[in-house]
Amino acid sequence: MAKMTTPTITSEYMLLFRGMHWDKNLSPEEIQNVMSRWIAWFDRLTQEGKAKAGQPLTEKGKIISGKKGQKVVDGPFAESKESIAGYILLQAATLDEAVKIAKECPGLDYGISVEVRLVDQQIGRGFAVSV
Amino acid sequence: MNQWNAWFDQLTQQGKIKSAHPLEHEGKIVAGKKGRSVADGPFAESKEAIGGYFLLQVEGFNEALGIAKKCPALDYGMSVEVRPVAAQCPTFQHAGEQVAYMTA
Repeated sequence: MAKMTTPTITSEYMLLFRGMHWDKNLSPEEIQNVMSRWIAWFDRLTQEGKAKAGQPLTEKGKIISGKKGQKVVDGPFAESKESIAGYILLQAATLDEAVKIAKECPGLDYGISVEVRLVDQQIGRGFAVSV
Repeated sequence: MNQWNAWFDQLTQQGKIKSAHPLEHEGKIVAGKKGRSVADGPFAESKEAIGGYFLLQVEGFNEALGIAKKCPALDYGMSVEVRPVAAQCPTFQHAGEQVAYMTA
């Protein structure tokens, strides 16, 4: 193992898993097989200190829009390949490393896509640099 | 921005925000078998692009909904998706139930 003389600077990346009905044509045993691999993948990432958090989201939810949030509709559309099924918050050195990790997602073979986004280190205050 | 910060700061003081971050515009979308397709994404102009997230700790879904409705950027075209965090992946849960049913 190479000796590390300087600590690697890492950033946070969000993995967003899109597509909730990837299990449509699979048997329950196949689904359990994928999920076991998924859980093993997540556990390994956690042990390596790469996954800081990760949770699935329930299928139900609401989407709020319009002035004062007056429009509230059921959402997301569960059949959609864009619906977010869950997330993993990663600690990684570069976007390339985060993408490499994303490629290991067991759900990819079944139609799930993974959106990889760099987290802005400003804590939720405004979505622009405040002067 | 001041309205946003006031809204955010109040929620933080109430201990309702477990974590929150804006997301940078750049990113990638990985898809296909073994993740062989890596495309630039998301399309930043899209109204569907995710700008950031709040992870809330609240009593129930309605409280989360109430908080989301107060988002100051709603007046300017932002939409807010509210999703309960699941204890277990719903797909896994359904599959487990089916297997249990079949082997019972």
